[in-house]
Amino acid sequence: MTASHNMITFLSRQALTAATPMILAGVGELVGELSGVINIGIEGTMLMGCIAAYTVTGVSNHGTVGLLAAIAAGMVMAMIFAAACVWGRADQIVAGTAMDLLGVGLSGMVWMMYQNWRENLGFSTALPHGSGFSRVPIPLLHQIAFLGPVFFDQYALCYITLCLCVVVWWVLRHTRLGLIIGALGDAPEACHAAGVRVRMGRSLCLLFAGACSGAAGAYLSIMQTHAFATNMTGGQGFVVLALVIFGRWKLPGIIGGCLFFGLINSLQQTLQTARYTSQNTALHALTHVPFQFFQMLPYLAAIVALAIMSRKAPGPRYINVPWPEVKT
Amino acid sequence: MPGAASRSLLIGPGTDDDQSCSTESIIYAGLHRLTSAVPRGWGAWMTTAHPALGLTGICKSFGGVCALDDVTLEVQAGTVHGILGENGAGKTTLMNIIAGLMRPDSGRMEIMGVPISTGSVRAARSHGIGMVHQHFKLVENQSVLENIVLAAGKSLLPRRPRKLLQDIDSWCRKLNWPLELDAPVGTLAVGRQQRVEIIKALCGGGKILILDEPTAALTPAEVDELAAAVASLARAGMTVLFISHKLLEARRICQSISILRRGKVVYSGSIADLSVEEIAEKMVGVKMDVPRLTPSARPTQGPPMLELVDVDYRIGKRRPPVLKQINLTVRPYEILGIAGVDGNGQSELAALISGAVNPTAGRIVRRSGGNASVPIRVGYIPEDRHKEALVLPLAVTSNLLLRQYRQSPFARWGFCRYGTWRKHSTDLVRQYDIRCRRIEDAAATLSGGNQQKIVLARELSQQPELILAVNPTRGLDISATAFVLRQLLEARARGAGIILIHGDLDELLSISDRVAVINSGALTATAWPQATPVEIGRLMLGGA
Amino acid sequence: MFKRFFGNIWSAAIAVALAALVCGVVLALAIGAAALLGYPPIRLADLWLRGAAGSWYALSSSCADACPLLLTGLAAGVAFRAGVLNIGAQGQFLLGALTAVALTTRMMIFHQPALVIPTALLGGAVAGGLWGLVAQYLERYRSVPVVLSTILLNFVALYLAQAALQGPLQALGTAAAQSPEIAGKYWLPLFVPYTDFHIGIILALVLAVLLWVVQQRSIFGFEARVVGLNPGTARAMKMPVTARQFQIMFISGACAGLGGAIQLLGQVHFMTAHMGNYGYAGIAVALLGRLNPLGIIISSLFFGFLDTGAYRVEESSLALPHNMANVIKALIILVMLVLAGLSLRKSRRADRRVTAPAQESAP
Repeated sequence: MTASHNMITFLSRQALTAATPMILAGVGELVGELSGVINIGIEGTMLMGCIAAYTVTGVSNHGTVGLLAAIAAGMVMAMIFAAACVWGRADQIVAGTAMDLLGVGLSGMVWMMYQNWRENLGFSTALPHGSGFSRVPIPLLHQIAFLGPVFFDQYALCYITLCLCVVVWWVLRHTRLGLIIGALGDAPEACHAAGVRVRMGRSLCLLFAGACSGAAGAYLSIMQTHAFATNMTGGQGFVVLALVIFGRWKLPGIIGGCLFFGLINSLQQTLQTARYTSQNTALHALTHVPFQFFQMLPYLAAIVALAIMSRKAPGPRYINVPWPEVKT
Repeated sequence: MPGAASRSLLIGPGTDDDQSCSTESIIYAGLHRLTSAVPRGWGAWMTTAHPALGLTGICKSFGGVCALDDVTLEVQAGTVHGILGENGAGKTTLMNIIAGLMRPDSGRMEIMGVPISTGSVRAARSHGIGMVHQHFKLVENQSVLENIVLAAGKSLLPRRPRKLLQDIDSWCRKLNWPLELDAPVGTLAVGRQQRVEIIKALCGGGKILILDEPTAALTPAEVDELAAAVASLARAGMTVLFISHKLLEARRICQSISILRRGKVVYSGSIADLSVEEIAEKMVGVKMDVPRLTPSARPTQGPPMLELVDVDYRIGKRRPPVLKQINLTVRPYEILGIAGVDGNGQSELAALISGAVNPTAGRIVRRSGGNASVPIRVGYIPEDRHKEALVLPLAVTSNLLLRQYRQSPFARWGFCRYGTWRKHSTDLVRQYDIRCRRIEDAAATLSGGNQQKIVLARELSQQPELILAVNPTRGLDISATAFVLRQLLEARARGAGIILIHGDLDELLSISDRVAVINSGALTATAWPQATPVEIGRLMLGGA
Repeated sequence: MFKRFFGNIWSAAIAVALAALVCGVVLALAIGAAALLGYPPIRLADLWLRGAAGSWYALSSSCADACPLLLTGLAAGVAFRAGVLNIGAQGQFLLGALTAVALTTRMMIFHQPALVIPTALLGGAVAGGLWGLVAQYLERYRSVPVVLSTILLNFVALYLAQAALQGPLQALGTAAAQSPEIAGKYWLPLFVPYTDFHIGIILALVLAVLLWVVQQRSIFGFEARVVGLNPGTARAMKMPVTARQFQIMFISGACAGLGGAIQLLGQVHFMTAHMGNYGYAGIAVALLGRLNPLGIIISSLFFGFLDTGAYRVEESSLALPHNMANVIKALIILVMLVLAGLSLRKSRRADRRVTAPAQESAP
């Protein structure tokens, strides 16, 4: 195996690793938006997932418990959002930014209180050894050239995410439930006439989205990094929002977009480290560019992608229209 | 059903033109045959024990306004029962309650003598109640089958449940309606969409079918087909509730009726016992003074103020043109009516004439007094007043000034002079009889008729030379409709040229000097007012 | 005339009372929650109040904190009212500050504060405005929703600022992303010595009143309102819809940019990329002020007091994280939104009562 081949394999693996939380949150957001609710606050929900997973894992010493806690935290955030937007008829976009602020504030607050508490007790705030998740290579399969390391040497949640994608795709494509979810966002009055409770349906979709975002947060804090930092999601939630539009509300498109951003992200990180380590001259030339430009890249790419793609991409019609509709 | 009675009231208010009478009765004769084929009283012996549907003491109020007041009625199985009433009489609310979409404040409902719980669509469905709403409840980008599965499916999983497919198939055969199950609903014509809705309502039960204003969007020929289908359903033992505010239709299609007025049942029984005048009186409550619309007082004269010459319009470059080779002229002192089935290019034509879009080919000439260089004053009464003519959260005053706010007495040095606004709008409110508590109230707080009066007041008060009105009476009650039509006639008497694009053929014919028919983007013919509704209806469907 | 004037005052008073009630309830809940977590509630409230308004100095620092909030709140309020969902005040704020610091450090050679300070403020405002126009351009000509593009542009602005602060604008002798400190004579002058009352506060207040007049009384304000509430009608009435949207976006961005510049020259005096969440908080301020510039003055003061008090509490022995203030803000926005949404529905219901039931209105 040549060095460049190694590099490509490594980058691809990192791309999937980095894309997993975005895919997870994206699947949830897709379901939510199809049902007619756009949640700008996934960033905040993910942060709550991060902190819940981190602190609960730290206290309980079990990563799984932390993951469940993150899912629960995500669902609680979703309930608040649903209460405001679905039942309380709040404007989804502004309420979404409020949810973001809530996530940032609450996670920062919990983090500081957790630190104080652990220090008072004389414990470290780092995760107990072995409680976080590490990569789970799947026996035999991970030895396949290229495909093995890329697809079968990932974190457990990555496999779950991929399975979830298949399930959600199947549900949306091949079941009556999928029809209902689509109709909730496209013609809620048709659902209502069919006896489907629109607000309940939307709330359940949001709950699913919240669980996904919470799990995505857990992935960031107790799998990928084993650390928590304030605002550690760094805008990934917002990129997911852009990607749902970019993928035209279709699952394959969203996953493709997430993988692309994962690739840019891993490239960016590689380039940042290459500044100090690489002997490769081509890479070295790039290190003269300030690394912030690489950090900026995903966001710029998202804007450019939207600018190219969002024409002729009608989303669900009833996004940000509370049910029952009031004519204004 | 005596033919003489139906003759006398034909095209509703406004026209008792002998010529159109006779043609009307021709179509209705066909229907008469269909409906009279059902033996009277046949439904009655079937269910001597229990009525198909029994309502007792249904009350419902919205925010203090009583929409339904102690409604009690019985419908026998195997009959077509008409529910008649004015706009706002509570017909739709009552039907929503029967279909389980709304829970009444009090009252009971029985089906075949079995009490069923109110306020649950599923309960209603499982007892065989299906409803076809006036505004179809369809998901446009889903296919026909998907729409039916969405509404009639029972489990969450399968998308092509075998039992439902059989059900659909059998109903389609019974009604002799072939359905393309995989076509996206949005691509179907309105008449086809209605069939989807009916099949949807029939699947999974199908004992009681509620049709809410089913004929509103149909052409005369389609109405006939629907009537035939309804009759055959009733023959098969189904109960059909047929909601309408058009008396003629009710007489043709229904065997018994209930009349609602302001949420109360004022009559329930056989339709044959009442003359049409009596029904109308019961619906409205008083003898309505229907405005008599006079034919053109002054002959059309002067050079055309608007000319469209070979106008094409297309939205995308690759799409086929929405409007093809449109040629029309409007002169002072005339009303040019444009008839057509909704969605044949009317809105695009309106957008072209109002100047919102430019034609892809051809030219539009607007002349003020024969002079093409002077900009003409155009009054525009759009189809959707909420989207194009009003700002509902703003005050009545502001809405009345949306055209003139930057002109001289109303603004100075970039600032609004609210004093002059108030004076102007107080005048208009009085002149056009806009009922509002204060002119500072939001336009949203007014009723639809009064909102439309705001639009009229604003557009007509600036003495426009050319008026474009699109469905100006849609959704209005009788008196507001009369007001609007009268205002248009007055504007004509002042010398304005008026283009009236209107879906209601009766109203259109009653006030137009000339009528043109638009069909799939082309003006197929300019018919003179002597044309009968039947001929125009044929043109609307694309016939020669 | 008389009656109408008092009618307006009356409804405004109700709005203010309602907002105050919401804030009070949320605050009480927050203190209750803190009490459950074991923080002594009385002492907490006492510390909070003293920190926010216990002395002239505390009062001035609350007001100085309210000043950028007022400007970002105006940015959000002006835009929202015209239907432009500018969530990008954060990025516009940062770029405003960045431009101000760049202009000041580059123009220090003139030794003319009277020239440098206005130029820096103006430059900050223009930079913020232009940054906003980018998003509006994307919306108008590339159909990218403003909501998304402004959020994404916030991050671009953040990294742009970091790159600049670690590149051409970096302070000597540091590795951090940080600008040199601005010399004292280029600071915004104080109007009460030995406090934080700088003239930027007065500038912001004047701007708010000015915007109020424009919004309520001018043709421009009327058009912006109509465009925001119903662009379709505005177009049918031949209003310059696109132009108004661009102008509003520029004004909105300029407010946020000016906020950044004022914060830099008046309060912090050197720039890092972490200048606080003023942009996002501005949305809350605007909503709490019901998008009315005068209301925004009050709500920004409230938030300023909330923030300053929270920092004092965090510094005290109680060590309750200041992020508590962010949580409170978020909850206030949510509650206010729900109240707005429900009241809209309720007013529609009430309308039916007012008008004769002539219309078929299927709820």
